[in-house]
Amino acid sequence: MKKFITLILVLSLVFTVVGCSAPKDTSSDNGQNAEDVDTGNNGDDNGADKKDKYKVYLITMDQMDQHWVTVDQGAKKAADELGNVDYQWLAPDVKDDAKQIESINNAIAGGADAILLAANGPDAVTATLKEADSEGIKIVYVDSPADFPAVQTLATDNEAAGKTAGEEMLNALKEKGITSGKIGVVSVNASTDSTVKREKGFRSAFEGTDFTILETQYAEGDAARSKDAAANFITEGVVGIFGGNEGSTVGIGNAIKEVGGEVIGVGFDKSDTILQLIDEGYLLATMAQNPDVMGYEGMKTAVNALEGKTVDKDVVDTGVSVLKKD
Amino acid sequence: MSNYMVELENVCKSFPGVKALDNVSLRLKSGEVLALLGENGAGKSTLMKILSGVYTKDKGTIKVFGEVIEDINPVKAQELGIAIIHQELNMCEHLTVAQNIFLGREVTKNGVLSDKEMNHEAKKVLNRLNIDIDPETIVGNLSVSKQQMVEISKALSTNAKILIMDEPTSALTSKEIDELFTIIRKLRDDGHGIIYISHRLEELEDIVDRVMILRDGQYITSMDYKDTTLKEIISYMVGREITEKFPRIEKEVGEKIMEVRNLNAGSHVRDINFSLYEGEIVGIAGLMGAGRTEMTRALFGADPKESGDIFLDGEEIRINRPIDSIKSGIVLVPEDRKRDGLCTKLSIKDNISLPNLDLLTSKMGVVNRKKENEITEETVKNLTIRLTNSDANAESLSGGNQQKVVVGKWLARDSRVVIFDEPTRGIDVAAKVEIYNLMNELKDQGIGVLFVSSEMQEILGISDRILVMADGKITKELDIEEATQDIILEYATKFDRKIEMKKEA
Amino acid sequence: MESNNSSKRFKRIFSKRGMGQVITVSIGLIMLIIVFGFLNPNFFSYRNISNLLRQIAPIILIGVGQSYVLITGNIDLSIGSVVGMSCMISATLMTKGMNPWLAVCISYISSIFIGILNGKLISKAKLPAFIATLGTMTIARGIAQIVNNNYNTDSIGAKAEGFRNFFYYGKTLGLYNTIWIALVMWLVFNFILSRTRTGRHIYAVGSNINAANLSGVNISSTITKAYLVSAVCSATVGLIITATSGMGTMDAGNGYELYAVASSVIGGVSTLGGQGILLGTIVGASIWGVLQNGLQFAGAPVAIRNIVIGIIVIISVLLDIVVRANKNVTKSKSKGKS
Repeated sequence: MKKFITLILVLSLVFTVVGCSAPKDTSSDNGQNAEDVDTGNNGDDNGADKKDKYKVYLITMDQMDQHWVTVDQGAKKAADELGNVDYQWLAPDVKDDAKQIESINNAIAGGADAILLAANGPDAVTATLKEADSEGIKIVYVDSPADFPAVQTLATDNEAAGKTAGEEMLNALKEKGITSGKIGVVSVNASTDSTVKREKGFRSAFEGTDFTILETQYAEGDAARSKDAAANFITEGVVGIFGGNEGSTVGIGNAIKEVGGEVIGVGFDKSDTILQLIDEGYLLATMAQNPDVMGYEGMKTAVNALEGKTVDKDVVDTGVSVLKKD
Repeated sequence: MSNYMVELENVCKSFPGVKALDNVSLRLKSGEVLALLGENGAGKSTLMKILSGVYTKDKGTIKVFGEVIEDINPVKAQELGIAIIHQELNMCEHLTVAQNIFLGREVTKNGVLSDKEMNHEAKKVLNRLNIDIDPETIVGNLSVSKQQMVEISKALSTNAKILIMDEPTSALTSKEIDELFTIIRKLRDDGHGIIYISHRLEELEDIVDRVMILRDGQYITSMDYKDTTLKEIISYMVGREITEKFPRIEKEVGEKIMEVRNLNAGSHVRDINFSLYEGEIVGIAGLMGAGRTEMTRALFGADPKESGDIFLDGEEIRINRPIDSIKSGIVLVPEDRKRDGLCTKLSIKDNISLPNLDLLTSKMGVVNRKKENEITEETVKNLTIRLTNSDANAESLSGGNQQKVVVGKWLARDSRVVIFDEPTRGIDVAAKVEIYNLMNELKDQGIGVLFVSSEMQEILGISDRILVMADGKITKELDIEEATQDIILEYATKFDRKIEMKKEA
Repeated sequence: MESNNSSKRFKRIFSKRGMGQVITVSIGLIMLIIVFGFLNPNFFSYRNISNLLRQIAPIILIGVGQSYVLITGNIDLSIGSVVGMSCMISATLMTKGMNPWLAVCISYISSIFIGILNGKLISKAKLPAFIATLGTMTIARGIAQIVNNNYNTDSIGAKAEGFRNFFYYGKTLGLYNTIWIALVMWLVFNFILSRTRTGRHIYAVGSNINAANLSGVNISSTITKAYLVSAVCSATVGLIITATSGMGTMDAGNGYELYAVASSVIGGVSTLGGQGILLGTIVGASIWGVLQNGLQFAGAPVAIRNIVIGIIVIISVLLDIVVRANKNVTKSKSKGKS
């Protein structure tokens, strides 16, 4: 009995894990067209095979964040338009270097022609990327690059975006007549490159001013814990708080809402809750990334590279939209 | 009808390979203390487990208060008024006395515990037995003897009329035994029936009315205590012919190999002094609780000791941990081979090489496979260990072969003294002989052999000298010529006289 | 020494098993508060104390749940995932327009299911608690992810304002509702543990499961009840988080089972079972909360916070094990052996 139950449990565990890491999208089914889809480019073959269908994998950091979901949507859209892509989204259930390496390996084993990758970190997966590269797989970075040469990187210039956020806050404070005081930062952790850069950019906007930015509180992007951290900042008397990602921003928004909105909050990423908080006036602005653009353009770049066409830019800043109450 | 509280008739119980009880009968009257006696393995605790519902009998009848009872289980036994107090106490040490007494039968009012009432009731029960304990004391803070009294009180509070007590005095001081016996006498006088199991034959005379003796799973006899003597009881417990053959070799005793002086380790190893010579096998006899295993473990360094000087070939050696002992050449083949002697999930080869890795590894710590295989092959050959393949798990071997692996791993390293603790327990007859031959081999080679055994025949069959232990001390040293079963048992039951005589007018 | 009733009762309360550690850690807690208060003037402000109490409340709840399980001699690793599951289920249902209170009910029901599953796996199927709750931890987290198709949810909407106020934002008699919720639940569960048969059996099972069994205690039922309590507490915390954020996040509650163990152990609940009182869990949870809060104000980097808490937990567990080991050594020396 005991063995039987253990077996069932293990099987369920396995199925759940597999289920969660199963890709959301299957290959695009566009019917077989005899003609090539018009890509506007009848360029030369740079020695690359023009295949019927290219196998392209998207590998992100995890599957949960809406951010990645949007990247996937963008990529899928491009794949559908292009028509010659067999597209799959692979991602581990949680952000984990070993699991991402596994995903990349799976993609290689699955016969990938190109991989769109949001690398966990600059060095975390370079070894596997070398392997992929030696198999002739084209690599395009979306959102987070790794330290390995690739076709192109499409990302938010996080540092610039962070600076923009800072500037927005400064302006708002100036309008209120506040020129000095304490500022709080609630972010994810010290190892996620993107959020670290955003913080850096944010802090740079405040250089030379009379504002003091307090020690950053890391809450792993957990909305509830971020709210606690922000509430503590408010008790300390900050005049503004910055949130480094979606969860952090939700947290600071809720904290500001609770005290009636005296504090200026600026954050990152877009979600229904964040938009609502902006609408209600509790958050000043959020830097909405354009993950769909990353996915869309990234897919296009990948296919271009596969078809042997030249790719002009190394890095594409997919930019941020500053979303405020309109 | 009968005025017996309990009648067991022709009860039989077998376990795989062993007939534990063979047509055993027992009768218990109200108002009497019946001592159930017999050697280790005679069947006493099996019989009691059947009565208390833990085991089911294969054959026979059980009658309680004149009624035939089928299908006893622990709950039913309790309802019938049978309570058993095990040697290992069953108390929840974090709870109070009252809480333990009422465990499983808590008194509640509207769902809320009535602690006050339970404390009160508990105090009443304790008072009935003249036990002076505050019912709100945490059991874990009580001495073992007081815990035992709490268990007795618990049994009484369930209105048990029949009490079975298994080795109740093994952990008590003389004063505590006094108090316990007062309680037992009171219970008896109140009409309870008590079955008393103990090896401490000398205490019987203060408490016991009748005596019943089992041997090898069979009922031998029973009589009133006053109609018999200790000597007679012992001879009934032990009386059988030595039927097994023991290969004995003659060898002249040579130099002194080891001397142990002043070994003390807790209450089970007290003031041990003995010597071991080349060319002899020394057997250590005694009953359970005598401290034999503890002594070998203290000697080997497996347990800490308070004092003890050990001399090997004339030189003093310091043994604080097993590795000290092993390095000096004293090795131990433990009592529980599956638990302490082998890594059952490892291969036979791994087991043999494990304590010998220092001989098999290069400077860098890499194991030399070739040497490992050689050592394994040699050991298997020398001891004729029957196996299919030395990479198989150790647990796949039969008991006898397992034991050979346990011994073999030590022999690979030229040990000087080999200590065996119950070397043939659970091994079939043929394999036993092989082990005896092995011991003789060692004796012949001048390696010291010390062995602990509970089987009287084995001790008498193989030893050249016998040390009898009781209550942590060596009570007698015997040469094989002067040793008999009766003498051994006599000295094995020589506990420090713990009971103060209470002369009643 | 006079032995009048009130001084006897006083003595009894303080000599009750477990109070020793509770008193020690309470002193530690007070010292911490003084230090942090000294380092930071804002610490004692009404706003901060209110916030602080509200931050401690969920930790008390998961601490109570884990304490129940620890006292039976087991562990519950699924607490964090049940928190997440409850958060996601309630939020998802609310975003789809369901009446918030109905959503609350469904969250509780699903958590109860996990609690029963835990109890039965451990007591009937005899799986080690570590393995069983590891399994349900994964299952519950999986449910949290699937329930809204692998996304975090949208905002739960204006209809849920009442819900949000009840569980988080509202105040009653000057204290946040969250605090009252934790307090009431603590009172109820403490009562059960100390004054009812079930509670007594929970201690017995943890103290000596064999003795309990031989005394007629229903082991399976007792263990399952402990896990049920844990599940209900976790579910409540999940709802609190939904109320806090106004949305459901799939990784809510991540790691909470360990905070729960820490709170319990610091407060004197033994990981070996049979011992500890819920009063200690409150103190343990408070120490945790005060550290989180105070270290932020002190400007300490998060890494320091983790190290400090880790050290405190290790010391508490060490003390627990060392004290128990000493008691066992003296015990086995006086017991008969071969």
